Amino acid sequence: MKFLLSKQYIAWYFLVPVLIVHFLVVALPSVLSLALALTDWNGFGKINYVGLENFYELFDDRYFKKAVWHNIIWTCLFLTIPIALALTCAYLLTGIKRGQMIYRLCFFFPYMLASIISCQIWKFIFHPLYGFPAWLNSKSIDLIPAVSPFTIKETSLYAVAFVDGWHFWGFLVVIYITGMYQVDNSLYEAADIEGATKFQKFRFVTFPLIRPVFIFSLVIIIIWSIPTFDYIWILTQGGPAYSSEVVATNLYSQAFDRFNVGYSSAIGTLMCIYTIFIVSIFAILRKLGWEI
Amino acid sequence: MIKKLFIVFIASFFSLISFGAIAKTTVTWWGETNADRDPVFIEKLVKSFNESQDEVELVMEFKEALNDVLRTAMLSGEGPDIVETPGPSYVKEYQEAGLIASMQGYSDQYGWEDKLLPWSYQAGVFDGEFYSAPKTFESMIMLYNKTLFEENGWSVPTTLSEYEDVAGKIKAAGMNVFAYGSTGWQPTHEHLVGMYLNSYAGPDNVYKALIGEKKWTDPVFVEAVELLRKHMVDDGYWSGSLENYYALGWDDFHAMFASRGAAMMTIGTWTFGTTTSSFADISDEWDWAPFPVLRDSGDASYLLALGTTMSINASSDNQDAAAKVLDFVFSNKDVVLDMAADFQFGEFVVPLYFSADDIKASVSPQVKRYLLDFADATGKGNYGYTTWTFWPADPGVHIWKDMEVVWAGDISVEDYMYDHQKLWDKARKKNQLLPVGAR
Repeated sequence: MKFLLSKQYIAWYFLVPVLIVHFLVVALPSVLSLALALTDWNGFGKINYVGLENFYELFDDRYFKKAVWHNIIWTCLFLTIPIALALTCAYLLTGIKRGQMIYRLCFFFPYMLASIISCQIWKFIFHPLYGFPAWLNSKSIDLIPAVSPFTIKETSLYAVAFVDGWHFWGFLVVIYITGMYQVDNSLYEAADIEGATKFQKFRFVTFPLIRPVFIFSLVIIIIWSIPTFDYIWILTQGGPAYSSEVVATNLYSQAFDRFNVGYSSAIGTLMCIYTIFIVSIFAILRKLGWEI
Repeated sequence: MIKKLFIVFIASFFSLISFGAIAKTTVTWWGETNADRDPVFIEKLVKSFNESQDEVELVMEFKEALNDVLRTAMLSGEGPDIVETPGPSYVKEYQEAGLIASMQGYSDQYGWEDKLLPWSYQAGVFDGEFYSAPKTFESMIMLYNKTLFEENGWSVPTTLSEYEDVAGKIKAAGMNVFAYGSTGWQPTHEHLVGMYLNSYAGPDNVYKALIGEKKWTDPVFVEAVELLRKHMVDDGYWSGSLENYYALGWDDFHAMFASRGAAMMTIGTWTFGTTTSSFADISDEWDWAPFPVLRDSGDASYLLALGTTMSINASSDNQDAAAKVLDFVFSNKDVVLDMAADFQFGEFVVPLYFSADDIKASVSPQVKRYLLDFADATGKGNYGYTTWTFWPADPGVHIWKDMEVVWAGDISVEDYMYDHQKLWDKARKKNQLLPVGAR
């Protein structure tokens, strides 16, 4: 009895409530969802076991494949543009002594806005009748056609990614800048003595030392890109013509519009397997001694 | 002594009141929340029902995302006594799962079949029993700016050639043919597909396809969808272009119609309230007409549609009391008409038998004419079918969602209809078809 009250278990006891909530709200439904993937449940009535039928159907579903491809594009976009922009701006900001907070606040502000607000702002900016391009056209300035990029199948995915990226990149600036402030100033002084340029200081001093933060940002972007939903749903609902459909919107539509809950659980299962795969890669690399 | 007697009197009085309150059966009814609608329901329906008798207390609760909340509650054996769903495809799922009770006994007891319009009653009959009653019905119509039409000498089209002719004239005058858009509600496309299927192929053919006597791959349906594709993509009838149609929402297209940005608007009768208000302060006058027959001749028809349905929860302990509430709705035409008048018959239009004298003076003459015309035409069997009332869930989503793929030019109309037929075959095999009623 006494050993149960020993210090080594105290932390466990404090964590138990969280564990219970997590088990009931996350773990248990997740396991049930895995089981539902093997059924044809419609979300209401009888549950029939169908084996791997949902998965066979899924691999034959052209719109699911399209959605997966869009998720890959989405991940690639977020792994490049916001990161490059955020790294550059964060590095430049570290050199600004006065007014830095104003910049940081401006960059971070979109991240504090609710997704519905960000979306409405951009939707209105590109509104074909009352938006900015329409206003320019009314002044006989035909720089941009008065057509919303969210409604063109060639641009819809990129337009939504732009809005989401606009809201997200300020967050990256803040975490990179925090990492950069951890770098020992004497290293920059040494680099100055060696005559290093600003780019060389970034390449050989800053970047190697913020690598854990950088890798963390890569991991969260890859993981967060999988269930991406809100911006796409609000702006295009996956359209037009599935041109901005991603796996999460496909899952939602199957579950709540078409009542194919078993099928959508199969989609959810694949998303879960993919996430575990990504996290495992990083865990293995860490085991292999990579500094991530 | 007097003080003691007074206390006993007060205690007895409150006991009686409490006993009265306890003796009443409480019936709960969940509805989708809406700032304009909710107070009218409380004031005109709940209050009048509760004042009409002292056995049942009706409590109406309004929920955000009602469908999701309701499904969760029902699956766990909870939920309200009166269950509201967005349409028959939901009723079918609840009925199959045994989550709603058969109302056949109550229908026989109260004579609901004689009180409701036949097509609307039939839409609630599943496996031979009555499971859901309509809370509101609607139809697709074509609104037009009457003043504008008169100024330009345009005639309201009734056939395909007249339709394309007037559309050309409207475009030549620098206006959009129709104001309409789908942002905020992507299934808007199904309004147009349903109109073209019924107006081009004809309601008889649509009926045959619904009951499985005709395939959706039949050339008559392919041609109907091809005509819609041409009018939408090549001719830009709706808001000028496909992209604009995708970008405009409810407020946008109403503003476009009221400001002469477009001469006409294809929409459901749920718009009556908004259209009446948007034309209230301008000199132009609006009017409506049935959507033209997309052939050289023929009678226009009204598409039948149910907006919301009402059922009784199978796990309710107060089913008899819930049936009393529903019977109050079906038996009190004045209450229903009074509420519907508040929305210019865009909401709470329970499909009862109305006559011209029943309709209040506050209802606009255009709406009144529609109600009488609808009753007359549908009474003669001149009606078609909307996708959201007669299509099962999976084909019902395909009809609007994949329409965009056709408009984008990614697949042909033939392939689209082939996929559609496959989904119907699947739904038929799984016994997911919805009641259509004999034609």
